[in-house]
Amino acid sequence: MAFTREDSLLQAELQDFLFAEAEVLDEHRYLDWLNQFVSKEIRYRMPVQVTRDRRNAASASLPSMMHVDDDWDVLELRVLRFETEYAWAEDPPSRTRHLVSNVRPVGRVDTGEVRVHSNLLLYRSRGDKPAFDLLSAARHDTVRQDGDGWRLVERLVLLDQSVVLTHNLTVIL
Amino acid sequence: MADVEALEQRLSDGLTRLDRDWTVPAEIIASPEFHELERTRLWGRSWVFLAHESEIPCPGDYVVRYIGDSQFIVTRDETGTFRANFNSCRHRGMMLCRAEQGNTSHYRCPYHGWTYNNRGDLVGVPASKDAYGGKLRKQDWGLLPAPQLDHYRGLIFGCLDSETEPLCDFLGDMRFYLDLILDRSDAGMRVAGPPQRWVVDANWKLGADNFVGDSYHLLMTHRSLMDLGFFPRDSKFAMYGEQIATDRGHGLGLISAPPGTELPPYLGLPEEIVTQLRRRLLPEQAEMLRRLSIIHGNVFPNLTVGDFLLPKDLRSAPTSFAALRLWRPLAADRVEVWSWCLIERDAPEEFAQATYETYVRTFGSGGVIEHDDIENWRSQTRILGGDFAARQHLNYQMGKGVLDQDKNWPGPGEAYNLEYAEAASRKFYQHWMRLLAAPENPMRVGTSAAATGAEV
Repeated sequence: MAFTREDSLLQAELQDFLFAEAEVLDEHRYLDWLNQFVSKEIRYRMPVQVTRDRRNAASASLPSMMHVDDDWDVLELRVLRFETEYAWAEDPPSRTRHLVSNVRPVGRVDTGEVRVHSNLLLYRSRGDKPAFDLLSAARHDTVRQDGDGWRLVERLVLLDQSVVLTHNLTVIL
Repeated sequence: MADVEALEQRLSDGLTRLDRDWTVPAEIIASPEFHELERTRLWGRSWVFLAHESEIPCPGDYVVRYIGDSQFIVTRDETGTFRANFNSCRHRGMMLCRAEQGNTSHYRCPYHGWTYNNRGDLVGVPASKDAYGGKLRKQDWGLLPAPQLDHYRGLIFGCLDSETEPLCDFLGDMRFYLDLILDRSDAGMRVAGPPQRWVVDANWKLGADNFVGDSYHLLMTHRSLMDLGFFPRDSKFAMYGEQIATDRGHGLGLISAPPGTELPPYLGLPEEIVTQLRRRLLPEQAEMLRRLSIIHGNVFPNLTVGDFLLPKDLRSAPTSFAALRLWRPLAADRVEVWSWCLIERDAPEEFAQATYETYVRTFGSGGVIEHDDIENWRSQTRILGGDFAARQHLNYQMGKGVLDQDKNWPGPGEAYNLEYAEAASRKFYQHWMRLLAAPENPMRVGTSAAATGAEV
């Protein structure tokens, strides 16, 4: 996209949206996240990254397996599960920090949606174990203006790892 | 590091107590000493799962896989034969394949250019005449093959001991039950895609133990999903079924449903597959499949197999998916988990898609069910890695004095007509302790009786 004044306003607005989302996730306010940031049409995907040599990689599109491939109903199940008394995996909760950077709108879709890329570094620690996990990823989002604000319609999380270095993906990237 | 004889003695005591008290020494779970001993006495002896044949459907296709900490290139050569060659150039030991998968007729070493065909023969040495004066006998310097390689119903296994009993004997009675998942259709199964791989700070045995014979944990570990109505609200639903323990540490559970509960027959498989399975399987096998909701099992040591009839969210009807799970140890307290979804090749596209969606949303790295299991295993590992754990013996007494073997069960192995049994877990740890306690490989041809002898 050409860099116009309008674009930089859009960039700032989307960055605000993604920063606010990160805060809600780090505060474990998953119901708020679902209700304030996510569209009912959401498609949230995280493909398995397979190491291929360049010759074999050229022909490969998205791999046929995902770590996460959610629609609204599954995200809702994840969130409702956290709300029960028995979701041990996040009780006590992980300490997470979503560090979002390199936010840039990369295109508009005819339907009024905007495609926005960002980088994510996610820090996670659990309990008093003297160790932590770091996940690095590119995020390719599609967002839509929806009444009171932006909503996430699509998120593709491209992990920078083939073997995922965190014990489970209860965390939302 | 304790000397090996001291470890053997502790294992021998552990076997005595398992036999007498039905307990398992807590120290064997996460101690670095036993992890070290596993390297030679378990991974150096046992058949280990490498790949599903559908991952390498065409000549030249390869995947890089592990037995213990050693990498093998598992490939289908130009004649269609499976090969597993050590991923290491014979010249300086350089890693040949640095991708996880691909297709190639030749592997060229990036260091000096020694080149091998996908049978493993050395076929090219740069500047051979100048460097070796024509004296290098290429036929002597092929890649080192895995000492044994074999396959069963699409599962490719390797073994580092050339004298370990053949794969079919090693699988033994477990084959009957593997067929319930792997031999239902003429075309067989395919992987839905590459494996999900992730690292968990837990010992590998806890995953195997959980899947081989622990349906009891569902009522508490997965309570959140019962409260939401994802699992049946009867918290003891996983009690209803049959648990089977077989020789050599394999085992499984076949969960049906609480009395009076209707299930879609044959795991809700599409009609095309049901017709085939009723023709292919024995009548008693087909009858087992007819009234099942979950198959969970483990092929000793570290290949978990299963088939699960589950909804993919709180609104959908259940669909079944088959899965393979490999627990590859990285350390006493770290495991690399590999998880594959299997789909019937002949299944209609709509069913295949529903199967994939159910798998990815409930199971594997991102699935909602397993998150809590993994939290258990990492917490167990952390606590059992401490010195004081050596004073503890874990209770595997479920069924002791109250549950007799099911003599009417129409399948092989030691069967119990109640899934709250722990029999398969006891057999798993018994075989593991026997293997680690034995200076010589007890699974060698002619000596396997020693490994399987007395019942727990």
